[in-house]
Amino acid sequence: MDRLWGFFTSVKLAVFTLIALAVASVFGTLVEQNLPREKYREIYKDWAFELMDRTDLFDMYHSWWFLALLVLFTVNLACCTIDRFPKALNVVRNPRTKLDDDLADTLPLAERWKRKGAAGEWAPRYADALSSLFAKPLVAVEGEEVHMYAEAGMASRFGVYVTHLSIIVIFLGAIVGSVAGFKGFANIPEGESVSQVPVRGGSRMQDLGFTLRCNSFRVETYPSGQPKAYISDLSVIDGGREVLRKRNVVVNDPLRYKGIWFYQASYGEAGGAVARVEVHGAGGSPPEVLSLAAGRPVAIPGYGFVSAVEYRQDYQGAGPALRLIVEKPGVPPSELWLPEGGNPGTSAGGDGKPPISFRGLAPWMFTGLQVARDPGVGIVWVGCGLMILGIVMAFFLSHRRVWLRLSKGADGRLEVVLGGAANRNRLAFEKAFGKIRDGLKGVGA
Amino acid sequence: MSNVLLFNLTTVLFGAASVLYLGALYAKNDRIAVYGSWVCALAAVTSTAALGVRWLESYRMGIGRIPVTNLYESLVFFAWSVNLFYMAVERKYGSRTIGAFVMPIAFLTMLFAVTNDSTIQPLVPALQSYWLHAHVITCFVGYAAFAVSAGVAVMYLLKSRREREGVSGGVVGRLPESRVLDDLVYRAIVWGFPFLTAGIITGAAWANYAWGTYWSWDPKETWSLIVWLVYAVYLHARITRGWHGRRAAILSIVGFGTTLFCYLGVNLLLSGLHSYGGG
Repeated sequence: MDRLWGFFTSVKLAVFTLIALAVASVFGTLVEQNLPREKYREIYKDWAFELMDRTDLFDMYHSWWFLALLVLFTVNLACCTIDRFPKALNVVRNPRTKLDDDLADTLPLAERWKRKGAAGEWAPRYADALSSLFAKPLVAVEGEEVHMYAEAGMASRFGVYVTHLSIIVIFLGAIVGSVAGFKGFANIPEGESVSQVPVRGGSRMQDLGFTLRCNSFRVETYPSGQPKAYISDLSVIDGGREVLRKRNVVVNDPLRYKGIWFYQASYGEAGGAVARVEVHGAGGSPPEVLSLAAGRPVAIPGYGFVSAVEYRQDYQGAGPALRLIVEKPGVPPSELWLPEGGNPGTSAGGDGKPPISFRGLAPWMFTGLQVARDPGVGIVWVGCGLMILGIVMAFFLSHRRVWLRLSKGADGRLEVVLGGAANRNRLAFEKAFGKIRDGLKGVGA
Repeated sequence: MSNVLLFNLTTVLFGAASVLYLGALYAKNDRIAVYGSWVCALAAVTSTAALGVRWLESYRMGIGRIPVTNLYESLVFFAWSVNLFYMAVERKYGSRTIGAFVMPIAFLTMLFAVTNDSTIQPLVPALQSYWLHAHVITCFVGYAAFAVSAGVAVMYLLKSRREREGVSGGVVGRLPESRVLDDLVYRAIVWGFPFLTAGIITGAAWANYAWGTYWSWDPKETWSLIVWLVYAVYLHARITRGWHGRRAAILSIVGFGTTLFCYLGVNLLLSGLHSYGGG
């Protein structure tokens, strides 16, 4: 049992797993992951294919042995913490506050000098000086002897545990995400909706619990023709009504609703054409671009439903135009022709014309959205924060300890012994210790 | 295009600094090394101005964005980081001999940079994010620290061999004591490691915001993890198993090798999501 515990708490095992994870990861980047099987047959000879297939090298990061390596890594991490944390706590809680000769011999930094007088009269001066030079000391009087102990940067001792804990927290977040979350994909043609999406890597469909509609999709380009933005205009329909609309869902700015995130990921042509119309808002607000697919009514708030029914290259000798049908509740549907590029009506229905202008035909597009729900992601970020905190604590803080002993020497004079130790950055502490020593030696001089 | 002229001037200055530092070492003349420091400072001013001018020029073109978005820009930013990190080390440690081993890294990086396309390109949609700044800056400070560590590790290996042989003179005799070099290899990694960690985390946060997944075992992500693991091994081996000196120095050089592969190799040799830097 002890040997098993010793195995799991050894740094040797930690270094071995770190190296094993690194080497395995290299393989995973050299062998392209998750290609179709036929592709691998083309790339590799039969025997290599068999071998790699059997060792799951084509989906290595999800293979049993890679997961086993991660589990071993986590167990090692947890055992090391359980094994060592109480000791670190003990160092901090029960510090050795007395500088006896045994300790003085083992300290990397020690200095002795002599003074005339008694310990009692020097002690307050040294305590004050130590406070201003380093940190307020703990003073203990033992007969003729006075012991002082001061420390700083205790948190340094715990940085390593915070860092190790953070890795476990991140793994926990990843597990929560993969158990309770899903990742899917949705291709939605303009004007159409989805309420369930296929889950990635499976045949399952995931219900969203609401409906997502793509109102329009467009690509903006730089003057050079390079793509500048892929923009989806999306609406969430929940409980039969539109509860959320985001007109500018772009890469790096997803839509979020009820814990489900929709990311702009791809696009394409859905086949056929749509009419692009501009709907002008009241009071000079910027116009909104809508895509009207043939025979699909689109709601314009405060106006009614509009559907495009016909397009003509040349309408009555005035160029291309679009025929619209406008339906209002309680009013018989009306019909109108909009010339391409023409001006809209002045206000919603004020002059009988809808506040719409026709901008031309465009290919019917679909937007491709990455869909994700990951309830573990918050836990992962907490872990990441802890990791940075832990690393900074572990490497940029240093637990520095200083001891001072005043005692009567054999010659009747007062003997002063100063000792110091630091768990990190010893070269810097050597310099700091030199300053403390000089400061203390200067006391009363 | 004046930014490119300034970058070309920077390249010349990095080359001059490298020659001066190396020359000072071989001529055993500290005065020459002082000129090297001045040239480094001048190069810092020039390259910072070049980055600023490039930034401004991108705004004037109507596509304003931080100049760290393709291979050319990332290389010059890497060289800029190495130079600044080295200057901080030189100031703190007061040894100019390190420059002979670190400034050539900046110079070679710039030489590679000037063979690449230097035109200012607009940002593709995937890069239009505030995470870009935090992600690139943290990664490159980390890379620069690892570069300095590896340069000093080479010095350590030269120096410690001479010390073992009991030879104190010669060019190597002018290098700082091996004890100091060993400590510097470690301290540079102690700076680089949290920055690399922050770089990976900001990358993950960004990926989550752009693609809906913070980790997808993309080659770039995976190699950044490999680099992280190598330096984690270094830190564990050093702190708990007392790996000092030669073995630690070799590990630092291996670490910088994986860093270079993560930075350049992945983009030039492997395919994946993170193809911008391959420009």
